[in-house]
Amino acid sequence: MAILSTQLARVSNQLRTSVSQSAISRTQRSLLEVQNELITGKRINAPSDDPGDAAIVQQLRKTLEQRAAYLGNVKQAGSHLGEVDATLGDLTDLLQQAQDIASANVGSDVTAEQRKSAAAVVDNIYSQVLSLANKQFEGMYLFAGDRLTDPPFVSEGGGVKFVGSTNTLSNACDENSVRPFMVNGERVFGALSTRVEGTANITPSVSAATRLVDLAGVSGNGIRLGAMNLSNGGASALVDLSQADTVGDVMDAINAAGVGGITASLSARGLVLTGGGGDDITVTDVGGGTTASDLGILRAVGAGAGLPLNGADTQPKVTNFTPLAALNSGAGIDLTSGITIQNGQQSATIDFAGATTVQDMLNRINNYGTHVRAEINASGTGINLLNPTQGTNLSIAENGGTTAADLGVRSFGPASALSELNLGKGVRMADGADLTITRSDGTSFQIDVNGAITVQDVIDAINTADAGGGVTASFSTTGNGIVLTDTSGGAGTLVVAPANYSEAAKDLGLLKPSVGAVLAGDDVNPVKAGGVFSNLSTLLAALHGSDQQAITDAAAGLKANLTNLTTVRGETGARVQELESRQNRLEDENLATQSLLSNLQEVDMTEAISRFQTLQTALQASMMTTSRIMNLSLLDFLS
Amino acid sequence: MSLTRTLNIGKSALATHQAAIQATGNNIANAGNADYTRQTAQTAPSRDHQIRPGVFVGTGVNLTGIQRHIDEALEGRIRGSISDNEGAATTEQWISRVESTLNELSEDDLSTQLSTFFNSWSNLANKPQDVGYRQVVVQNGEMVASSLKDLRGQLSSLRADVDGRLTAQVDDADRLAKQIAHLNREIVLSEGGSAGQANGLRDQRDAAMKQLSQLIDVRAVEQKNGTLNVYVGSDPLVINGDSRGLTIRNETIDGVVTPVVAYKHDNGNVRLTSGQIGALTAVRQRIGGYVDKVDEISGNIIFELNKIHSAGQGIEGFAAVSATNVVTDSTVALNDDRSGVPFKATNGSFVVHVKDKTTGLVTSTLIEVDLDGLNADDTTLDDLVARMDNIGGLSAINASGLLKLSADSTGVELSFSQDSSGVLAALGVNSFYSGRDATDIALSPAIKGNPNLLAAAKNGEKGDNQTALAIAALESAKLPSLGGASLKERYQSFVNEIAIAAADAKTDAEASAVVKETLLAQREALSGVSLDEEAINLIRQQRAFQGASRLIAAVDELMQQILALV
Repeated sequence: MAILSTQLARVSNQLRTSVSQSAISRTQRSLLEVQNELITGKRINAPSDDPGDAAIVQQLRKTLEQRAAYLGNVKQAGSHLGEVDATLGDLTDLLQQAQDIASANVGSDVTAEQRKSAAAVVDNIYSQVLSLANKQFEGMYLFAGDRLTDPPFVSEGGGVKFVGSTNTLSNACDENSVRPFMVNGERVFGALSTRVEGTANITPSVSAATRLVDLAGVSGNGIRLGAMNLSNGGASALVDLSQADTVGDVMDAINAAGVGGITASLSARGLVLTGGGGDDITVTDVGGGTTASDLGILRAVGAGAGLPLNGADTQPKVTNFTPLAALNSGAGIDLTSGITIQNGQQSATIDFAGATTVQDMLNRINNYGTHVRAEINASGTGINLLNPTQGTNLSIAENGGTTAADLGVRSFGPASALSELNLGKGVRMADGADLTITRSDGTSFQIDVNGAITVQDVIDAINTADAGGGVTASFSTTGNGIVLTDTSGGAGTLVVAPANYSEAAKDLGLLKPSVGAVLAGDDVNPVKAGGVFSNLSTLLAALHGSDQQAITDAAAGLKANLTNLTTVRGETGARVQELESRQNRLEDENLATQSLLSNLQEVDMTEAISRFQTLQTALQASMMTTSRIMNLSLLDFLS
Repeated sequence: MSLTRTLNIGKSALATHQAAIQATGNNIANAGNADYTRQTAQTAPSRDHQIRPGVFVGTGVNLTGIQRHIDEALEGRIRGSISDNEGAATTEQWISRVESTLNELSEDDLSTQLSTFFNSWSNLANKPQDVGYRQVVVQNGEMVASSLKDLRGQLSSLRADVDGRLTAQVDDADRLAKQIAHLNREIVLSEGGSAGQANGLRDQRDAAMKQLSQLIDVRAVEQKNGTLNVYVGSDPLVINGDSRGLTIRNETIDGVVTPVVAYKHDNGNVRLTSGQIGALTAVRQRIGGYVDKVDEISGNIIFELNKIHSAGQGIEGFAAVSATNVVTDSTVALNDDRSGVPFKATNGSFVVHVKDKTTGLVTSTLIEVDLDGLNADDTTLDDLVARMDNIGGLSAINASGLLKLSADSTGVELSFSQDSSGVLAALGVNSFYSGRDATDIALSPAIKGNPNLLAAAKNGEKGDNQTALAIAALESAKLPSLGGASLKERYQSFVNEIAIAAADAKTDAEASAVVKETLLAQREALSGVSLDEEAINLIRQQRAFQGASRLIAAVDELMQQILALV
C-alpha cells in the first residue's frame, strides 16, 4: 500500500482513482492467494511461497520417498527370510525323521529286510531334502546366493554338487545399514564344508604392473592413497599419489619428483629408493596420511647420505593377473609336473605348462571335469581347492614334482597329522608295537607309532627301527601314500602286518601287498564334503548294506547337521525379528515425518478462513468507498 | 485619469480571465490523462499609472504566463522508481515462469522422479534377475533423462523468449530516445530558447521519458535552453536534439549466442541496472546459469552413474559393444581436452572379461589406463584400441572415433569390471546413459534394446546386486565433482535458489511498487487535476470575467453620459 502523506496539499481525481484501483487489486490478489491455499489445502504450493520452509518440505518429501524404498526392501527381505525360515523348518523335520530312522535301525533286533524298507523312506527324504535345497521364491533360488537364477544343488557323479554361490545378497534397510536377506546355502547344507586350503603362502613379488589395490600394504589395510613428502636432506618435494593405480605409477611419480638423485626401483616385494652419494633419503606422510607407511617406505629420520631406502614388504596379493613366475616372491612354482586330482570316480592329472597367469592355472583346474573348484583364498596369499560334491572323496597328489606342495594343496603329505587321517578318525593304535614289517630276507622288526604326531614321524620311526637293514620308508612323489622300499635282497616278500591287534597298519594304508620290493601305501587322507546329502546317502547305503557302524556314523552326522540347522534357523529367526522391528520403526518414523510435513506444508484452515473473511470485508469496504468517492463532485452541486 | 484607460483595464481583465478560463478548461479536458501536468494562469497587475505626482492608479491585469505545476526533482525520483518497479516486476514475471517450469512440490516433479529412479535400482537389488524390475529401471531412467532434457529445453526456450522480448524492448527504447531528441528540437524551436513555454510538448516529452524509464534506468538533466539530456549511468543517450540510439549486438559467450544491449552510435555496451531491459538482461543471465546447473546435474548423473554401471555386468555379456562418445583425436591422451571426450578419465585400469559361453570359463585381462601425465606415455584411444585388440577372443577398432569391441565368435561374450580409471564411462562403453549433458542425455541404446544388459552385478555373477546397490546409493553420495555435495543436495539447492530468487523478486516488486505509488501520489498532489478545484477556479474566473464585462458596460454608460453632454 502506498504511503500517503496526510499532509498532501491537494487530492486530484487521478489520485483518488489510482488509490482505489491499487487497493482493490491488491486485496483481490491476496484473496486469490487465500483462495488457492483453501482449495489446495496447502500453504506452500510453489517453493517461492516460503523458500525456507519449502526447502525443509523438499527434504522431508525426499526422506519419505527414500524411506518408501527402504520399507519395500525390508518387507521383501522379511518375506524372503520368512520363506527361508519355513523351509528350514521343513528341513529340520525331514532330518529329524532321518535321524530317528537311523537310531531305530541300530541294534541286533532289526533285520536286514526291515532296514531295506527303512531305506525306501530315507530315499524319499533324500529327494525331498534335495527339492527343499532347490526351493524357489519369486523366481529366486533361496540357497543359491548370487547365482540365484539356477538350481544350486545338482545330482552328479553319485553325489550332490553345490553350484550355487556363497555370496549372499544384501539390500539397504536405511541410510546406514545394508543387511543380507539371504541365507548361505553352504551353511545350511554343509555344501562346501570340505576344502583343501592351500597351506603354502605363495605371495607373489611386485612388478611395475601390480595394481595398488592388489597390495595388502605393510599394515595389511591396503594402500591408502594420498601425498607423501620426499626429501634428500636438502631439497624436498610433495609426491602426490592420489591418482596412482599401479606400483609403476608410484615409481614414475617418485622419479618425476626429481629430488636430488633419488630414483625408485623394486625389490622382490617392496620398493627401493636409491639416491646419489649426497642424498640422505627421508620419506614422510603428509596431513595424517599413511601412504608412505602403507608402501613401506616411511623413513622420518635419514639413515645417512648415500644409503638406499629398502622398503618393507608390501604384501602383494595373489590375483587372477599375477604371473605364475612371480609367485613365491618370484621363485615361481613347479609348472611342468602338475597335480593329480582324484574326486570320487573322476581323476585327472593337470599340469600348468604354458600357463602364464594364476587365472590360466585356475581355469585349467576348473575346466578339467573333476568338479573341483579352484579359487584364490580370501586374504590373497594362496589358492584353495574346493570339493563341491557331497559324498565323494577328494585327494590331491603330486605328479612326480613339487607342484602340489608349492601351492600347498596336497591333501595328504608327510606333514599330515595322524589324528586327521581317515576322514578325521585318525590312526587307531594299540599298547606296545603296532606294526610288524617283514623284510624280503625274512627278518622282521616292529614299530610302535605311539607318540608319532605326523606321517613323517612314522616314516622316521620305520627308518630308525631298520637303520641299515634294507627297508626305507619315504613319502610317495607320485600319488599320495607312505612308500616302503626293501633293498635287503632276500627271496621273500616285503610284508607289513598288524602287531598286538593294532589297526595302525590299516589306518596308515600299509596293509597291502608289495609289488616287487616296493610297498606303496594307500592315500588314507582323502577329503570329503560332509553335509546333509553326504550323511543321507551314507545312511541310505548303510541301510541297504545293513552296516550298523555306518548307520551310527550317519546318525551322528545328521545330528551335527541338525545342531547346525538349529543355529542357522535361530539366526534367521533373529533376522526376521530384526526386520520386523525395523519395519515398525520405519513406519513410526514415517508417521512422524508425515505430521511434520503437514505442519509445514498444510494450511491452517481456521487462520486461512478468517484471513479470507478479513480480506473479503476489506474488499467490500474498498469497493463501497470507491463508489461513494467517485460519485462525489462539486459539479453536481452547481446549477 | 481617462475613461479609455478604465476601459482598457476592463479589456485586460477580459483577456486575462478568458485565458485563465482556457487554462482551466484545458485542465478539465486533461483530467483523465495521467501524464498531464496541471497548468494555471499566472496574472499580475499591470504597471501603475501616475495620475498626479505621487498618486498612482492601477492599469488592470496582465497574463504573465501559464504555469506547469511540476517538481522536476520529484519527476526524476519517479522515473527512478518506475525503472526499479518495472525491473522488479519483469524479474518476478520471468523468474516465476522459471519456477513453474520446475513444477516442484508436485507429485511428478523432477526430484520425485529422481527418487523413483534411484529407488527402482534399490528395488532391483531385491531381485537382480527379474526382467520386469529391470524394465522398470530402464523406464524410470528414460523418464529422468527426458525430464532433464525437457527442463533444459523449457529453460532454453524461456531464454529465447527473453531474447525476443529484449529485442522488442530495445527497439522501443530506441524509438523513445529518438522521440525525446525530436521533442528537444521542437521545444527549443517553440520556446526560442526561453524555458517554460511549450507546456504541451514538455508533457509529451515527460510522457516519453516516463515510458523510457520503464525500459531503462535513465537520468535526465534539463539544459537552460529547455532541452533534456538523457543519461544511462554516466553515458549520454540523448544530447540536445540527437539520440545515440540503442541496438542489440549478438555476442557468443561460452558457445551461447548472447544479445548485448549497445549504443548504435559506437557499438559500446550499455551499462544497465534496472528497468525492463536491465531486468531482462539480468534474467537472461540467470536463466543461463540455471541452464548450466541443469547441464551440470545431468552431466554428473551421466558420468557418475556410468562410472558405476560401466564396471558392472548384466545378465548377459555383450557380443559387440560400441562407445557412445566420439574421440576427435585418437592420438592424444584420453583426458586431454583435444581428445574431445566429454568426461575426464583418470589414471587407473579396468578389466575385460571374455567368457566362453559353453564352458563358462572367463578369461580376464587387465587394461592399464596411464593418464598420470608422466613419461609421455599417456594412454590414447589408439593405445586402448591396440591393447584391447590384443586380447584373445575379441577385436577392437576405432570406428571414426568410436571405440568398438566385438567378440570374435558367437561362442564368447564380453563384460567389464573394476574400472578405476572411469575411462569406460568417459567413452560411453557399457554405460547406462549416453550424452554429455542435458541437451543429449538419453538411455544407452544397447540397454534400451535389451534390459538384460543392465548392470546389476559387480562380481560377474548373474544374480549379484552390488552394482545396483551402489547406484541406488548414488543419489545421496557425496561427489567430489560437485564439491562434496550429492546429486540430491545439488538439485535441491538449485530448486531453492530459484525459489529464493522468485520470492525475492516478488518482495522487490511489491516494495518498489509501494515506493512508486507513494511518489506518484506526491506528484498527483502537486501536478494532478482536481475537478472540484477546477470548478471553483472556473466560477472564480467566470465571475471575474463577468465583473470585467460589467466594468466595460459601466464605462460605456459613463461615456454615453459624457457624450450626451456634447
